[in-house]
Amino acid sequence: MKQFRCLLFCLSTAIIFARATELPALFQERLKSVAAVEFIVEMEIDRRLASVVGTVIDDNGTIILPSGPIQPSVAPSQLKDFKIYRPNSAEAFHAVYLGQDALTGWHFVRAEEKLRGQFVPITRYRARRGDPDLGEKMWGIGLRNKEEEFAPYLMAAHVGIVQNLPQRTAIAGSDLAAPGLPVFTMEGEFAGLALNSFGQNFLMFSRHQRSEPIMLVNVEESSAFLLADEVLPCLQRVPQNVNGRPIAWCGVYGLQSMEPDVARFLQLENQSGVVVSDIAEGSPAGKAGLRERDIVLAIDGHPLPRLKPDRIIAGYFGREILRRRPGDTLALTVLRGNERIEIRVTLEDEPKLVREAERKYFDQLGFAVREFLYDDSIENRVRPVESTGLIVHFVKPNSPAASAGLQPGDWVREIDGQEINAYATAVAQLAGIGADRSRKEFVLLVSRGGETSVLRVQLN
Amino acid sequence: MLRILFFAGLAICAGTVEAAMSRGFNRLLEAVVRIDVREVAFADGAKRFSAGVGSGVILSKDGIVLTNAHVVSPRAVEISITLANLERVSARLVGWDHWTDLAVLRLDLDEIRKRGLSFSPAEFADEPAFPGQTVYAVGTPYGLTRTITRGIISNNDRYFEDSRGVQGYETGAFNTWLQTDAAINPGNSGGPLVTEKGKVVGINSRAYLGAENLGFAIPSGVARRVVERLTEEGRIVRSYIGIVPGVLQDLEKFYALATNTGMLINSVDPGSPAARAGLRPGDVLLSIDGRKVDGRFPEQLPPIQNIIASLPVGSTVKLGLKRGAQMLEISVVTETLESRVGEEWAFEKWGLSVRKVSRAYARENQLDDENGMLVIGVQSGYPAANARLARGDIIVKVGGKTLEKLDTLRALYEAYQAKPEPLLTEVQRNHRLSLCILKP
Repeated sequence: MKQFRCLLFCLSTAIIFARATELPALFQERLKSVAAVEFIVEMEIDRRLASVVGTVIDDNGTIILPSGPIQPSVAPSQLKDFKIYRPNSAEAFHAVYLGQDALTGWHFVRAEEKLRGQFVPITRYRARRGDPDLGEKMWGIGLRNKEEEFAPYLMAAHVGIVQNLPQRTAIAGSDLAAPGLPVFTMEGEFAGLALNSFGQNFLMFSRHQRSEPIMLVNVEESSAFLLADEVLPCLQRVPQNVNGRPIAWCGVYGLQSMEPDVARFLQLENQSGVVVSDIAEGSPAGKAGLRERDIVLAIDGHPLPRLKPDRIIAGYFGREILRRRPGDTLALTVLRGNERIEIRVTLEDEPKLVREAERKYFDQLGFAVREFLYDDSIENRVRPVESTGLIVHFVKPNSPAASAGLQPGDWVREIDGQEINAYATAVAQLAGIGADRSRKEFVLLVSRGGETSVLRVQLN
Repeated sequence: MLRILFFAGLAICAGTVEAAMSRGFNRLLEAVVRIDVREVAFADGAKRFSAGVGSGVILSKDGIVLTNAHVVSPRAVEISITLANLERVSARLVGWDHWTDLAVLRLDLDEIRKRGLSFSPAEFADEPAFPGQTVYAVGTPYGLTRTITRGIISNNDRYFEDSRGVQGYETGAFNTWLQTDAAINPGNSGGPLVTEKGKVVGINSRAYLGAENLGFAIPSGVARRVVERLTEEGRIVRSYIGIVPGVLQDLEKFYALATNTGMLINSVDPGSPAARAGLRPGDVLLSIDGRKVDGRFPEQLPPIQNIIASLPVGSTVKLGLKRGAQMLEISVVTETLESRVGEEWAFEKWGLSVRKVSRAYARENQLDDENGMLVIGVQSGYPAANARLARGDIIVKVGGKTLEKLDTLRALYEAYQAKPEPLLTEVQRNHRLSLCILKP
């Protein structure tokens, strides 16, 4: 027995020893697949520098970035001066922004040509297929900040659980990579891509209070990663244009998951469903005859799976739409009352998104407006066809518009008593007001949360 | 220095003594009562009782007592009144009106007769209060029975609307208030504000917390009318058309109006009579049934709103309007004014407190209809909380039945109590529908 234990001990040191010699070399090699990306977000009155890390996916120098650092309301034209840094280097290379993929949420940038040769895309390595083993050791890369010239560091952890969220996701016992950077097996296989980290619950003690629960989210490192099987098929999804068009759209809103209790009550064992809250008028789902209160049970004959937590089923449904293309037909099995019916929805290209909306900033007046979009009619619970106006996108602090009480998100219905019928004429009208130095005031009728209000804007 | 202060203090005392000595003022003191209330609340998924203290004033020989609606509301389950001679008698609620923050109670006259007790009523002042007038507030601040404080009328036409001011109910849309610097503290509520002769000019009702001597009272003119109506009918029915006024202040030029005319319509409630008749926000209201209106300043808005509110429900009112350069006349048929706050109840075995969705609530929250019960509280560990119901949810359907009335849910609850079985429940949260199961 004693001997056996000793043998085991020797064996494990031998393995560690072997890994220890390989891992630094692997680490150095794999650094060629990661980069830090800096860019500027140009707002109405200021510029903000943003910094994020990403993974190289092909020989064209394409890099994917996680969705977090770019707000959905930011237009591609506001994203400027993309720069790429290699680990351990302060040398900046140029890059262009390619757009965002709706399904994965990834932003894509492409490095300038002279840098491409220094990269090795993650597709070049062997991939770890299937689920990792429980307890399997994985490692990944983190990058320090710019002052430290993006010094790379290694993290390693053991896989603790593999789940469908709804994508196949592994969670390790501790942090193992920066969100957006790859995770590898000890043999150097590509195992997946680190996700934004999950919140962790802590108790906070202070002198005055005994303890208070708080949640901490690590924005630099994460213990969760999307498995290679989920990542690799999506690497083809390089946007064809900066807006990521086309985007498949079904037009159902407010999807709610079904609790297991409810499924049991409706005698739907081992499957799930989504309750439809809102069908936009004129949308593909509306045209196909889907109604509020319908419960979607299956897509193209495949029952919706039971996922934990239940609420992620809404995300699953959304992904099923986004995986497809406008023009594709989707067969939905729907429970309506006690009846099961099948509804065929032909997907369309999604109406204009906020980031695509035309917008204009009026410095004299102190606010920016954008087009009223289809989504705004959903938000304001009005019929899309009947609705016009402008949405206030930004209000400059201490400006005439701010003093008048205008707020971002306000829906402007009338300018100087004139109803807004078209974006272009309304913008021309505002531009005219801004240019007219003799103007003392103008009046807006705005709608906010269903209530309207007449605002008088006094000009300096 | 000390001496001067002392003398000044003495002088004030002398003034108070003079007033207090007047026969009228003494009679008034006999009419002021302390009110102890026990009321039920339906928060947190259970019936909970709480106690409060306020003030009131006896107004008639037949035992009518006037107080604030936020002191005694229909939630009161026990009202006990301490007369000036320190005898306690019970009373019942005759009616309340949260819009003016007034409630009328009646003393138990049988009890008073049996016990041989006496009391004397106070009188309203004949003239409205004027700025600078010396007034006294009498009441029970912090339970200190029959406290008298003195001040002046700081303003007799103060606009003070509060959409949740009286136990969550709307108040102040149809009247202006008296403002006084007589000290008003919690517990003064419902007590009278009186002249040196002891005539009631207002009912003390609120004060700015943390401010110095900014107290507010309902003017006696308003109180007198409300007492009459509540005593006769037990409630006050008002008309509603669904316009939200705004002040025209500084906008006359923009709307090309003659001075001193018009009230701006800031918002029109969706689905309201005004919306159906075609009124639009940005319209300027010039006249109501031919009567010119002037709503340039906030304090001018309540009287204008009151003209409409005072019309019989279902009457047709002709509104003269200006829309751009256009002059319009639009007829609107009024409907009954409703509070946003509907009837409340607690279903204790479910650990669920609800409030009926009112028409006003449905409009305010852009709901499709007024069916359903708003969840105002759940008790953890009970079926409602287990089904993940939460405050703010609207229960639309239970067991396949649409909840049009509170009684529908009461009937379902009784059936559940008799035989607990899982109930499929349809819930709306932020306009999103979901399903859950209420089960034992």
